[in-house]
Amino acid sequence: MRLLKRLLRDLNSGLSPSEDEVVRINDQYFTLTPALRDGLKNREGLVYSGRYLGRDRRLFEPSSLLLQALASEPGTRKAHVDRDTAWLFVCGRDIFHESIVAVEGELSLGSHCLVMYGGRCIGYGRYETAGDQRIIRNMFDLGALLRRET
Amino acid sequence: MRGREFFLERYSRLGHSLTGDEVAPQAIRVNPLRAEDGEVVEALTDNGVALKKIPYLDHGYIVEHTEFSLGATLEYLLGLYSLQEAASQLPVQALAPGPEDTALDMCSAPGGKTTQMAAYMMNRGVLYAVDASRDRLYAVENSLERCGVTNCLVYHGDAKRIELGASFTKILLDAPCSGNYVTDPDWFSRRSLRDVEANAERQRRLLSRAVGLLERGGRLLYSTCSLEPEENELNVQWLLENHPVDLEPMAGPGTPVATEVFGVELDPKLSLCRRLWPGDGTQGFFMAEAVKL
Repeated sequence: MRLLKRLLRDLNSGLSPSEDEVVRINDQYFTLTPALRDGLKNREGLVYSGRYLGRDRRLFEPSSLLLQALASEPGTRKAHVDRDTAWLFVCGRDIFHESIVAVEGELSLGSHCLVMYGGRCIGYGRYETAGDQRIIRNMFDLGALLRRET
Repeated sequence: MRGREFFLERYSRLGHSLTGDEVAPQAIRVNPLRAEDGEVVEALTDNGVALKKIPYLDHGYIVEHTEFSLGATLEYLLGLYSLQEAASQLPVQALAPGPEDTALDMCSAPGGKTTQMAAYMMNRGVLYAVDASRDRLYAVENSLERCGVTNCLVYHGDAKRIELGASFTKILLDAPCSGNYVTDPDWFSRRSLRDVEANAERQRRLLSRAVGLLERGGRLLYSTCSLEPEENELNVQWLLENHPVDLEPMAGPGTPVATEVFGVELDPKLSLCRRLWPGDGTQGFFMAEAVKL
């Protein structure tokens, strides 16, 4: 929960799941609807439940579901990119400042932002300097869904 | 009792002359939890993909042309669509679980039909998914996350024995089966009649368990991608003879099932089941829908 809360704070999110509503399975975190909570009679063999939030790694690795929830919050910082840049990002690359099409919220050095393509979130990064360039350093992207399976 | 000629001759005796070289085109299913059909079609078409709506499927499209893998696009990663062969989209569409259902996918991996069930349920109700292979469940988990599924409880275990503490209004048993040669180029050299019979026996145990988990009036959709009657018609005949179920008529593509197999007369109700044979734009598939009495 510590790493999850840190990520939410870094992204300026208003979400604050309480310990009571979060189900933990190994290093993964989930929330349940009331119907699922009622249906969860047996936890033996349970590997996934309800809305997947993400998992603890060195940093918290957010799920696609959490990213889309964060993207729907008006207060989170967002950097919008075009298709070519989005593709390079999900391949693990950083984003040059010049490739940012639009920004929501204030993007200052060291701040974290969601990376958006076509109104949907494809990952997040940290705004940094690299040499004489300003970049969004790739912290997590949806290409992880493919990389996990290989 | 194996080999290309042996199996093709069996299919011929079932009334279908096949070459053994039939193929099925790639297909996608738009995920209504994440997108409208039009948005996905437009995005892929703009990038040079040619799609053709499959008339009998709610959200299915044949991929007529693409110059890149549709399993590695931004739209795929965002869960806007899944790769799912046309015939394999039919069982869930026929079962049509809804938001009010408590549903079970008994053999869930790799998860395509599980995410499809969640979409029909509009992410409401409770969807249980079970699979015996922990390794294959990682793919299920990935698919659920990618497709935005939030109403699913996933268990690692043997569906024949696992205790979930629930009974169900809808069950999908897309049973582990012998498969068919359309999706496996080495199928004829790898399969024998003994394999088929062993799979049929395992499927009967799964069918028994499924009926036990159903509420009275609940519906079971049994499907396989096997062409072999032991895993299809003969198993459903066995189901009718041994469990309190009746068959429901199935609409859609394919043909009604023959009620005579290799000289054995079957219950006339078997004609309510559907068969898709290779060569009609899909792989082979069998579906039966039963209601618990």
